[in-house]
Amino acid sequence: MRTFLLVLLICTVSNTHAQNSIPRGFARIFNEQDLNGWHISRTSHQGTTPDCRVEDGAIVLREHPYGQGGILLSNKKYKNFELYLEARIDSFSNGGIFLRSTESGQAYQIELSEPGGTGSLFGEMLRVSKTADASGRSKVWKPNDWNSFRIRMTGDTPHITLWINEVKMWEVQEPVNDFIAGATKGMIGLQSHWSATYGPNVAEFDMSGSWRPGAAHRFRNIAIRELK
Amino acid sequence: MKRNFSHVFLISLVLFLSGAVWAQDSVYTNSTGMEFKRIPAGSFVMGKFLPPYPRPSVESGNASSQANGYREGDYKLAEELAKKDAMPGFTATIEKSFYIGRFEVTQGQWKKIMGTNPSVFQGKKVPDDANRHPVERVTWADVQKFLAKLNQLEKGRKYRLPTEAEWEYAARAGATEDIPWSKIRQSAQIGLRSTSIVGQKAPNAWGLYDMLGNVWEWVEDYYNEKIFADSISPKSGSEHVLKGASFTGDVKNATYMTHAAGPGNGWDVGFRVVMETKE
Repeated sequence: MRTFLLVLLICTVSNTHAQNSIPRGFARIFNEQDLNGWHISRTSHQGTTPDCRVEDGAIVLREHPYGQGGILLSNKKYKNFELYLEARIDSFSNGGIFLRSTESGQAYQIELSEPGGTGSLFGEMLRVSKTADASGRSKVWKPNDWNSFRIRMTGDTPHITLWINEVKMWEVQEPVNDFIAGATKGMIGLQSHWSATYGPNVAEFDMSGSWRPGAAHRFRNIAIRELK
Repeated sequence: MKRNFSHVFLISLVLFLSGAVWAQDSVYTNSTGMEFKRIPAGSFVMGKFLPPYPRPSVESGNASSQANGYREGDYKLAEELAKKDAMPGFTATIEKSFYIGRFEVTQGQWKKIMGTNPSVFQGKKVPDDANRHPVERVTWADVQKFLAKLNQLEKGRKYRLPTEAEWEYAARAGATEDIPWSKIRQSAQIGLRSTSIVGQKAPNAWGLYDMLGNVWEWVEDYYNEKIFADSISPKSGSEHVLKGASFTGDVKNATYMTHAAGPGNGWDVGFRVVMETKE
């Protein structure tokens, strides 16, 4: 009986491990059921009413209404951490993973844009001193499929490292903390970009390429390991 | 000649007096030094949503070579979605004229009334006189305390936050469509690293400064969790509406129509005041 239980336990553990690719020591910050622990930014220029929902255990971001994106933010703020998540992004739709985000979505950003700059480091409404490109991404990237991101961020002056599919893309030590109000912690954010204004004849260029109609960005296995 | 002179004098006097009476009606400065502009009653269309959608470029003709990456069918889908989500808006009526601050409430004015300064952008964080920058890092509840004190000090006057409709009516200053990007850049402090001294950019057609940009502005209404206001505001809620975007904003949200809500960043959230008319 004892042997049977042990075998059962090993099977259960290994089976769970097969489905759960979250690295050891990380705690889930998305429960796969609903958006408890998350909220929508009501002051983002991307939009304030994005379509954020849970489908098949993943957070799915879409524009809503037409042309209006937005940002889903973790309720909790993090300072030193490693974030793990898996993303599946439709092409010709621009999004991002926000790090130490403020309530309006001012943040260090890992770009999500296919084809294009996925894995780049720059700012959302923030002038980032030192940016980065994930030039080695094409060797590991799986188009139209799930890809994992692991991001380590530490320090009052941010030190950021990105791995895509567990291959290191870049490591950046910022020369200064770029946050204008001096924040050294902030929220995790997931963005869908705006692609149209509220009315016609106000924009100076066409933004429709920022989010192809009906496009979605999906995120699953979102977990964090807080560091000292 | 003498008679002509007296005529000219009389006409000038009448013009001067009527101008003075008009000016008294049109602008008002209270004992705290807050300047107000009288806004006439009227109406405007609020929440009209007609998002533009792209059409295939005639030159390339081939959908697969479009710069926005649209595939066959995407243009049709964009048009369908844009038309499905469009909203006609509703007519908001401002029944009574009101006075509104020509500027956002400054740190100097907040200090005079409250004796404190909660703002982040003061001291070494600004290159000039912080007293003339808008006060920020004030919650809606903090603003109510400020207004209560202001009402105590300025007896006989009634001060409050603008309603969202009053704010947008004053910001539009007669404009029926949302503001074009080039005009936003002329009038709004946006894309910056701190607040700016109030009144540095071009005023709107009714002489109001910084309605867009610099700091988000609290209004009276509760937030309805929708893209735009309803014709009747919610009676309760967890957050209040913010209008006009801040120095961290851009041409996308520093517009008349943006209907945002608290808490925001704090350090880019301020307000301006309405003074009721004595009609």
